[in-house]
Amino acid sequence: MASCRRLSGAGLREVLGPAQGLLFDCDGVLWAGERAVPGAPELLERLRRSGKAALFVSNNSRRSVAELERRFSRLGFRGVRAEHVFSSALCSALFLRQRLLGGGGNGSGGGRVFVLGGEGLRGEVRDAGLRLAGEGDPGAAEPVRAVLVGYDDQFTFAKLAQACGYLRDPQCLLVATDPDPWHPLSDGQRTPGTGSLTAAVETASGRKALVVGKPNTYMFDCIVERFGVDPSRTLMVGDRLETDILFGKNCGLSTILTLTGVSRLEEAQAYMASDSAAAKALVPNYYVDSIADLIPGLDE
Amino acid sequence: MGTRPGRGTANRGGGRAGTRLRRGGVAMAGGGPRRCRRLEADAARAVLGAADTLLFDCDGVLWRGEAAVGGAAAALGRLAAAGKRLCYVTNNSSRTRAAYTEKLRRLGFPPAEPRHVFGSAYCAARYLRQALPLGAAAYVLGSPALAAELEAVGVPHLGPGPAALPGPAPADWAQAPLDPAVRAVLVGFDEHFSYAKLCQALRYLLRGGPDCLLVGTNRDHRLPLEGGTAIPGTGCLVKAVETAAQREAFIVGKPNRYMFDCVASEFDIDPTRTIMVGDRLDTDILMGNSCGLTTLLTLTGVTTLDEVKGHQESDCPARQSLVPDYYVDSIADLLPALGD
Repeated sequence: MASCRRLSGAGLREVLGPAQGLLFDCDGVLWAGERAVPGAPELLERLRRSGKAALFVSNNSRRSVAELERRFSRLGFRGVRAEHVFSSALCSALFLRQRLLGGGGNGSGGGRVFVLGGEGLRGEVRDAGLRLAGEGDPGAAEPVRAVLVGYDDQFTFAKLAQACGYLRDPQCLLVATDPDPWHPLSDGQRTPGTGSLTAAVETASGRKALVVGKPNTYMFDCIVERFGVDPSRTLMVGDRLETDILFGKNCGLSTILTLTGVSRLEEAQAYMASDSAAAKALVPNYYVDSIADLIPGLDE
Repeated sequence: MGTRPGRGTANRGGGRAGTRLRRGGVAMAGGGPRRCRRLEADAARAVLGAADTLLFDCDGVLWRGEAAVGGAAAALGRLAAAGKRLCYVTNNSSRTRAAYTEKLRRLGFPPAEPRHVFGSAYCAARYLRQALPLGAAAYVLGSPALAAELEAVGVPHLGPGPAALPGPAPADWAQAPLDPAVRAVLVGFDEHFSYAKLCQALRYLLRGGPDCLLVGTNRDHRLPLEGGTAIPGTGCLVKAVETAAQREAFIVGKPNRYMFDCVASEFDIDPTRTIMVGDRLDTDILMGNSCGLTTLLTLTGVTTLDEVKGHQESDCPARQSLVPDYYVDSIADLLPALGD
């Protein structure tokens, strides 16, 4: 079982030295709201100079990767390109493309997707070559082959009922971008997450959703396909035990918890003290107060 | 005639659950698993004769949408004429007791007073009246009917209808002022449910912590409409709030026993002389069985006999508790036993 050791001093070099790359969650790790975590841009710069890869894996399904690339730049992070960013919006679109179009992405056949989510998510689904229910030729009798539940701040009872209508067809997939029950706001409040909306759709339809995001491993499959990452030489850095750290464990990565986001050290320690195997899987190998603490572990 | 257990609190005792003591009258599945036998002829006469009170679910039992089940009104008429007490116990939170009373009248059922009708909206209002400190308010995800029931018992409330929030984005909503009097979030059937309202519910629950109650009228997944279609039920909205808040709601409706407790506090109920009539195993029949009532399934609603057989044949005690004592194809089938 992982032992949740503070990473500092000589330990930093021992762990970071052999690593070829790091996967970072974004919210609560690199930034909080509109503020970069102090030292985070410098860490990424130092990783680049050390020849280590930095890739980004986020459950946030609000933004397209193009928007995320602009966000990185706006918050002071240099050199992060859209191709380095794996959001649940992108990966859900890739997943649906695989399932509905057989990976061809040529836009013919495959049916439509009913998306519960914002324009960022809808754009990723379109970019994957899929057609959205409610768009285009209204005369098209093309069946809806998937309902995709993402972060939808315009979710309504009417949309819930509409989703259920499509899901009466057992051939229609139910997919969710991520399981997050809530997200923190910068003032300490919380806003409901995709997980709460998915729960409503599952309850109404009697179906279980296929969840693309962390802790499930599909996003790691996308990363491996594009960049050929070696799990034994890659570290996962995240702030949420139930998603980031479990994701790392599921993918065979060593994990580092940073305390600038959702999870508290006490929670990790409580999981460590638990008898349940499921709880123990949420314990990170290491923790830091902030990812800026990793900088001394890298070559000058 | 059997002896009757004591009145008042004894009737609410949970001790009756699972024990089926009979003194005189008809042996109703005493002590063993329930048998789901067709209720007809002599057995029907005996079972109905031994009962003082019948509790009826409504949708799928008495009516489907606006259409009464054929013969149902006549059967209830004869039961009333025979001196039986008839009460109505429904999870549907989108109507007031007065509205149900009016529907019963409109569809030709024996006259009922609102006090005979136990809808989940009314019972939720009663629950909050007793559970909230005086002056505390409820933030409500629900219908005008739910608001009306709260009004009628004097519980201040806000929330029904479309969300009225400043600005289009969650960042704006998180700045909207919270009413300091709110000490409960109540989730009922809400066609105006939205992410914005879910946000507000979550804010109240986080502000109050365990001091803010989370109550749901019922967990039904679907609300049946006339013509066989259905729309998402209150259970979906309850689940959304529970997931966001990472806590469990207190559920007023069947199969939980709170609604039966409301009936028992209003009337002198002897569970051993009470029949629960319903069409859903996991709400009507489960509540009836848990409260020590005789349970009668009617097949005019959502349940098939095959489903019951599946539960009967399983080894799982939870599934066994979904099996009714008796069934009929329709409550009209009781008419012959109620003749002259």
